[in-house]
Amino acid sequence: MSRVARSAALTWLAAALGWGQGMAAAAPPATTEDGQWTMPSKDYAATRYSTLGDISARNARSLHPVWTFSTGVLGGHEGQPLVVGDTMYVVTPWPNVLYAFDLTREGYPLKWKYRPEVSANALGVACCDSVNRGAFYADGKIIYNLLDGHTVAVDARSGHEVWKTQIADLGNGETTTMAPLVVRDRVIVGAAGGEFGIYGWVKGLELSSGRIAWSARNLGTDDEMRARADTFRPPYEHGADLGAHSWGNESWRTGGAPVWGWISYDPQLDLIYYGTGNPSPYNAEQRPGDNKWSTSLLARRPEDGTLVWAYQFTPHDNWDYDATGAMVLADLTIAGQPVKALVHFDKNGFAYTLDRASGRVLLAKPFTPVNWAQSVDLNTGRPVLNPEKQTGASRGNVKDICPSLEGGVSPASPPAFSPRTHLFYTATNNLCMDYASKHTGHLKGTPFVGVVSPYSAGPGGYLGSFMAWDAASGTKVWENKEPFPNWSGALVTAGDVVFYGTLDGWFKSADARTGRVLSKFKVGSGVVGNPITYRAPDGRQYVAVYAGFGGDWALLTGDTRSDDPADVRAPADYMKDIARYTSQGGIVWIFGL
Amino acid sequence: MRPSTGFERRAQLWLRATLPIFAGTLLSCGQPHQQPTAAAPPAVAYEAHITAGDATIPGGSLRNPHAGDAAVARNGALLFTAMNCDGCHGGDATGWVGPNLGAGRWRYGGADAEVFNSIYFGRPRGMPAFGGTLGVEGVWTLVTYLRSLPPPPDIPTESWQN
Repeated sequence: MSRVARSAALTWLAAALGWGQGMAAAAPPATTEDGQWTMPSKDYAATRYSTLGDISARNARSLHPVWTFSTGVLGGHEGQPLVVGDTMYVVTPWPNVLYAFDLTREGYPLKWKYRPEVSANALGVACCDSVNRGAFYADGKIIYNLLDGHTVAVDARSGHEVWKTQIADLGNGETTTMAPLVVRDRVIVGAAGGEFGIYGWVKGLELSSGRIAWSARNLGTDDEMRARADTFRPPYEHGADLGAHSWGNESWRTGGAPVWGWISYDPQLDLIYYGTGNPSPYNAEQRPGDNKWSTSLLARRPEDGTLVWAYQFTPHDNWDYDATGAMVLADLTIAGQPVKALVHFDKNGFAYTLDRASGRVLLAKPFTPVNWAQSVDLNTGRPVLNPEKQTGASRGNVKDICPSLEGGVSPASPPAFSPRTHLFYTATNNLCMDYASKHTGHLKGTPFVGVVSPYSAGPGGYLGSFMAWDAASGTKVWENKEPFPNWSGALVTAGDVVFYGTLDGWFKSADARTGRVLSKFKVGSGVVGNPITYRAPDGRQYVAVYAGFGGDWALLTGDTRSDDPADVRAPADYMKDIARYTSQGGIVWIFGL
Repeated sequence: MRPSTGFERRAQLWLRATLPIFAGTLLSCGQPHQQPTAAAPPAVAYEAHITAGDATIPGGSLRNPHAGDAAVARNGALLFTAMNCDGCHGGDATGWVGPNLGAGRWRYGGADAEVFNSIYFGRPRGMPAFGGTLGVEGVWTLVTYLRSLPPPPDIPTESWQN
C-alpha cells in the first residue's frame, strides 16, 4: 500500500505562501479551505478534493436535492460551477451563457446573466457537441472560453464584460471548449480541433487586458514550440526540432495536437502541465513517425510559455488516444521514497504516475482492459506494442482494439485525489472498437479524420465503471460497475465521501474507502459534468452538479435527442437502450443534508 | 447500359480529378472552381417554405440534371467521403455532428434544389459552403447520392417494452 508523504493541502499551502511573496495577488490562493470553488479543478494540483467534512459517510444517505435550475440549453453539460463568496457561477454549453446566482436569498435568484454573441458556425466545427469545461475566477473576473474561439473576462460583481479576445479561428477548424487556468498575470488557453487538422497551440493572455502575451505550438519546430536547447529537457529524447522531425512529409503542419482539457500548476516548480490531443488525421500512415508532441504531456513556464519538458504517452498514435485528461499533482510515497508525482489516467487505458519535476514515468498500469500495448517500458517511456492492433489504411479494418477511442476514461471526466485515503477516483469506459482507416484529404474547414470505428462492449459486458485507484502501486482498490459508459468527473471530500454521476442520469455518493453507494438520485438527464462542493452563506456544506447528457454521447446515440424532427436516428447498436433512461437538457442541481 | 450523357462524362472527369488520390492539385491550389454561369442557381430558393400571401418567390428554378442516375449517385458516394462530408454527417450519412441525411427528413428541405442550396451555400449552424470547391456539377453529384439513399426503417417510434 502507498502512503502520502504529506497532505496535498499542506504542501500547497506552503507553496502558495512562498509563491505569494512579492507577487501581485492576481489569482486567488484557493489552497486553504475557504469553502469556495474558484477554479475548475478546485486547486492548482487538480485534486478535486475538499476538506469540507460535514457530509460524511455516516450521513450521506440523507442527501437530498435542495435546488434546481434549468439552464435552457440542450448541449452536453460538461464542466462544473464555481462558487466565489456568496455567488454561484454557471457557464452553459454554446451559446455560453454565464449565470450568477445569489446564494444568500431563498431560491437563489439570479444576480445577472451575461449572454455573449457566439457564432453558430462553431456548432459545425466543434467535433463532439457544443460543450464548455468551465470558468476560472481570478482578480474579480470570471474567465472562460466561448465555443467560437474567444476568451472573455466578465466582472464577477456586475456581470459586465471586461475584455474579449479572439484566440482561435473557426475557419482553421479551431474551437474552444477547454477550461482556462490563471497563474499570476497569465490566462492559459488552448483550442480543440484534432478532428480538423489544426496546428495545435497554447497561449498566455494578460489577465488584466486579455492581450495575447505569448503563443506556443504543441508541435513543429523548436522555435514555434518555444523550446530552447538550454531549457528544454525531455526525459527520454534529445535533439533539435523533435516536434517537426518526428512527422514525415511535414505532416505536423496539419498535425492536430489540440488542447481541450485541463491545466494544472505546481507553484514550487513554476510549471504548468497539460496534455495534448490526437495527431491528425486518424489514418496514421499519412504522418509517419512518432508525431511529437501530440498525445503528450507538456510542462511549461506560465510567464512566457517556455517548454521545459515533454513526454509522449502514445507515440505515433493510431487509435485517437488523446492525452487531454487531467494531470493531477500529488505527493506520494513509492517504494519508501517520497515523490512529487503527477498522475494521469490516459485514454489509452494506462494510468501513469510520473515524476513531475523530470517527466520520467515511475509507474504505468492498465486501469481498464488494454490490448493495443502490453505494457510501458519504464527505461524508454515507450509502450510495448501489440503488432496485431496497429492500424493504418494499408491494414484495413483492424478488429477488437481496447480501449475504444472514447478512452479508458474520457478526458472530459476528471479524476479526484484524496490525501486522506491516498486514493484516486475516476470514471471509466469499458468499450472496444474496430478501426478501419483510409486515406483522407485535408480540406480546410472540414474534418480530417479518415477512420470508421464502431464500438462494442469490452470484456465483462458492462460498459463503464467508477473506481478507486492506488497510484503508488498501480492497483485498483474498488470498482462500481455501471451499465453505461461513465462520463462524470469525480469529487472527494474530507468526509470520505466520493461523488459521481452516471450517463443514465443518477447522481451518487459513495464511501471513498469501500465504494459502497450511500445515496443516489435521478437527476433528469445523464451526467457528463463534474460535481463540486462548497460552504454556502448559511454555513452549510452543499454539493452541486450539472445534469445534461451530451458530449460524444449526443452524437453516438442520436436517439437520445428529441429537439430536431429533421434528425431522427436509430439507436447505437452496442447501447440500444440508453434513450430509455435519458434525453438531453441542462439542469443545475444542489444537494444538501 | 445506356450511353453516358455529357453531364456524366463531365462528372466522371471531374471526380477523377478530385478524388483524394488525385486531390493534391485541386485542394492545394486554392483557386475557386470555375463553372458555366448558365448552370448557376438563383441566390435563394426554398421551394418548400411557407410564402407570405402565397406569393411565389421570383427567380429561376433548379433541376437536378442527374436525378435518379445510379452511376452519378455512386460517384456521389465517393465524393461524400473524398470531401470529408462523412466527417460531420457520419458514414453512409447516418449522422454525427451534422444531421442524419439518410432518414428522409431535412432541416432545410429535401427537394433536390433545397439540398443543392444547403451544400452550395452552406447553412448557418456550421455547414460550410462547398459551392466554391465543388462547383455546380460536384454539388449535383452529391445531391444525387443523398437522394438515392434507401428509405430508412420505421424509426419515429422507439419502444422498449419487455
